[in-house]
Amino acid sequence: MISASRLTKSYGPTRAVDALTFEVRPGVVTGFLGPNGSGKSTTMRMVMGLDHPDSGAVTIGGQRFHDLRWPLREIGALLEAKAIHPGRSAHDHLLAMAQTNSIPKPRVDEVLGLVGLDSVARRKAGKFSLGMSQRLGIASALLGDPGVLLFDEPINGLDPEGILWVRNLLKSLAAEGRTIFVSSHLMSEMALTATDLVVIGRGRLIADTTVDDFIASNTEATVLVRSPGADRLAVALRAAGAGVRSREAGALLVTGLDASRIGDVALTEGLALHELSPVQASLEEVFMELTSDMVDFHGQTPVEVGA
Amino acid sequence: MTTATLTTPLPALDHGHAGLANQVRSEWTKLRSVRSTWICLIIVFVAGIGLSALVSNIEAGHWNHLGLAERASFDPVRFSQTGSFLSQFVVGVLGALVITSEYATGSIRTTLAITSKRTTVLAAKLLVIGVVVFVVAEVTAFASFFIGQAVLLAHGAKALPAGSSILTQVHSSAIPYVSLADGGALRAVFLSGTYLLLLALLACAIGFVIRHTAGAIAAFVGILLVLPLIVSVLPSSVAQSFEKYLPSNLGLAMTLVTTRKTEFAGVLFTPWTATCLLVVYAAAAMALAGWLLVRRDA
Repeated sequence: MISASRLTKSYGPTRAVDALTFEVRPGVVTGFLGPNGSGKSTTMRMVMGLDHPDSGAVTIGGQRFHDLRWPLREIGALLEAKAIHPGRSAHDHLLAMAQTNSIPKPRVDEVLGLVGLDSVARRKAGKFSLGMSQRLGIASALLGDPGVLLFDEPINGLDPEGILWVRNLLKSLAAEGRTIFVSSHLMSEMALTATDLVVIGRGRLIADTTVDDFIASNTEATVLVRSPGADRLAVALRAAGAGVRSREAGALLVTGLDASRIGDVALTEGLALHELSPVQASLEEVFMELTSDMVDFHGQTPVEVGA
Repeated sequence: MTTATLTTPLPALDHGHAGLANQVRSEWTKLRSVRSTWICLIIVFVAGIGLSALVSNIEAGHWNHLGLAERASFDPVRFSQTGSFLSQFVVGVLGALVITSEYATGSIRTTLAITSKRTTVLAAKLLVIGVVVFVVAEVTAFASFFIGQAVLLAHGAKALPAGSSILTQVHSSAIPYVSLADGGALRAVFLSGTYLLLLALLACAIGFVIRHTAGAIAAFVGILLVLPLIVSVLPSSVAQSFEKYLPSNLGLAMTLVTTRKTEFAGVLFTPWTATCLLVVYAAAAMALAGWLLVRRDA
């Protein structure tokens, strides 16, 4: 469980995180969404005790980071995959981490095996690809067998097989009852992986909900209709109170009427239907719409904070 | 790729907390697992004994051309410690790198995100780099001393007469060599290694404050090399009152065998006073490092 309460952080005149309150519950994967510079990384750094909040607080299982007795055993994090001394081997990197929290040495080899890096454990981390570095970062997060895990953009640089692997790993870690908090700019990926969502923009909370509710509450139900008499159908549907947009020749996007009512209207007009299918807005579309509104509304580009 | 599930849960630790002993073990692993550490330590040792042999050989070879005054300031101990002119920068680089390499790679955030007390990280790093540099520097200082004396002996050097000290060697016509039992020799050799220890700690603390490798090393070199140049352009009466406080001159004072009337008379502190002052400098830098480390965002 991660609880943030009115978390606020400014860098000079830039308010990176603004009175952010949210909860991340155990047992499911929680996606952390926001455009670049929206304060995701800053928030994650504050969870890990790296940046000090100006006000507000964030707790891990009820405790602030600096009160944890064995931090690595409580919360594991992948914040920056490439943040490793290039001349040190993956094994020694993890061993040095393990020693700080009295984690037995065999555990190092175990997590290296888990992420598939056992064959390159003695190679210098500087020679690793971004994908291998991501795997090493995931291994370091898992090192202390923690109940709470934070991943900042964990699939960056991974190949499709690696992405699938991370998706399954996150889900199985959540299924074990752990709290999983994952940031990503790949909304489609979050739609596949996450159950809960925390969405922020310009450091403020936009939504703290489930993926399904987020999409449902932010989109109108839309139906895709194909008909040889699309033009006539459009007139009839508008007359019935629907919103109609033309997508391409012979295809309409209809809002305000459900599929059965549209079918009825077509029958009344004596028009054939070649397709009648409800369209599920993707998380990505919803997210883009929400955040672009926000940016437009404020009339300025959010400032990139941190790296 | 398998759907990985952690098969063996880690046994919980119900007692204690991540403390200094844990962090010291971790910092030692980090220090020994990068090549730059070993390169720096090998340079310290090889430069120490190599320059001792070389300089002692050259000085002994010139003995017959030396005037009385020069013979009076012939210091077999100092010649043997010539390597520390180089080593002071090498241990400075090593001390700074211990922390600035973590800032350069970003791994400092890993280090701080697995430890609840930041001051523990500072203490562990200083402890590990301090012990390692101290051991290597003392071994080097004593090895250099014995090699230097052996070279002088090979040139026909004579031991100081019983009851005399290095102070009285001026009356000898033979090249002198000294043993550790001779006045001040043991202290000078020991403090030669101690000087390197204190510089490594100073550089490490500077690294914590500046957080950039190039910046920290530039500051460290500036303190040792540039500060004396700046002081030297001041009016000599002003310069004289400042000179003895310079870390480089404290190092010179620490390794002097005698406080007899020489070119340094009255200019330098006594060896132990100089040591204490350098300890104060290093401690002040460490305190500043700790104060900033706790307050700054990582």
